[in-house]
Amino acid sequence: MPEEIKIYMFEVVGSPLCVASSDGQKVYERLKTALEMDLNVVLSFHNVTTLTSAFLNAAIGQLYGIFDTDQIRSLLKIEDAEQDDLALLKRVVDNAKLYFKNPEKFNRAIQETLNNEA
Amino acid sequence: MRFFLPKIHHDHTSFDALARLYAETKELNFNKVEIDLRETYWFDADMCAAFGAILYSLGDRLNKVNIIHIPQEVETILSKNGFLSHYGRLTIPDRWGTTIPYQRFDVEDDHFFANYIEDELLHRDEIPDMSRELLKKFRESIFEIFSNAVLHSRTDLGIFSCGQFFPKKDQLDFTVADLGVGIQKNIKDCTGEKYTPEEAIIWATEEGHTTKEGNLPGGLGLKLLIDFIDLNGGCIQIVSDAGYWQRKNRTTKTERLSCPFPGTVVSIEIKTSDTNTYTLTHEIDAEDIF
Repeated sequence: MPEEIKIYMFEVVGSPLCVASSDGQKVYERLKTALEMDLNVVLSFHNVTTLTSAFLNAAIGQLYGIFDTDQIRSLLKIEDAEQDDLALLKRVVDNAKLYFKNPEKFNRAIQETLNNEA
Repeated sequence: MRFFLPKIHHDHTSFDALARLYAETKELNFNKVEIDLRETYWFDADMCAAFGAILYSLGDRLNKVNIIHIPQEVETILSKNGFLSHYGRLTIPDRWGTTIPYQRFDVEDDHFFANYIEDELLHRDEIPDMSRELLKKFRESIFEIFSNAVLHSRTDLGIFSCGQFFPKKDQLDFTVADLGVGIQKNIKDCTGEKYTPEEAIIWATEEGHTTKEGNLPGGLGLKLLIDFIDLNGGCIQIVSDAGYWQRKNRTTKTERLSCPFPGTVVSIEIKTSDTNTYTLTHEIDAEDIF
């Protein structure tokens, strides 16, 4: 078994457009399997031209529902990503951490914001 | 039965007119329906997405739809973008290449939609000169809108899109409409909360708010879109159920439509002359993402 595996999003999706949640799910399935086996994973953004939060939520965000932050941080590395793609990914990751930390509390806090605006 | 439409711009008044058309026709089945455009002296081409959604729902109930008395200029616009070809007319060549064709997609058509955007919007010579960063932000925004419809609409009838360049105004309009359950019902089903249609749209635009099911975080797409529009200086409008929401010049306003729209519409107006750099204020370290 390799010590480290590399997943090219371009190869998994078959296109430079990493935009559909269903495609993100395909990346997620591979990442989940690798992390469950304690493998180091490099996720390459090589050749990716367009990303959406919907794709990244499915591919990476939902990892936080089954793995803890330390585990993800130690096993998963990002490669070949542009700065604005990293910024989007960071936002997705922060959102996912908050979401899985306490989904009910998170939803309630936003509802209170809404009530204050009304 | 005959129904009349006024001038159609992408604004509250015209969304209201389309919602009224739906309200007046929603009970019709197996009927002959004539949409009379004699008073429709202007039709913002991107609004074909919302108009087409309503006509599609009429066709789905096996009504025979006929569009009549179309003013010449409007007929030209709606023929160039292929809209009228869905109603028995021919598509005419778009010599100046300013239209983004009217198209209907099923929710499983993510890849088809991606190709449509690439072919019709991004790889054409006629596209206005936009900075690389603006173009990237713009395409991300369009895909966020489509993903939103795919993930939330719960529709079998499809997703409709259409757009138009205005080279002299340095403006690009693009609209996506779906015939789904709408934001208000989605929130009700997800959280049990009953909001007014306008409150429901506000809820959906808050960062972190999502009605996705299962173990999937969400609630960023519309916020990212709004952040982009704020920087770009354009405008975004959302119509869902009887709610109308608009963001322009960093100011949000909401209004009520006189009747519900049968789904959700997201319409964006982009300033193509925008030279913002969209650069980040600080470097992000790939080692420090997780």
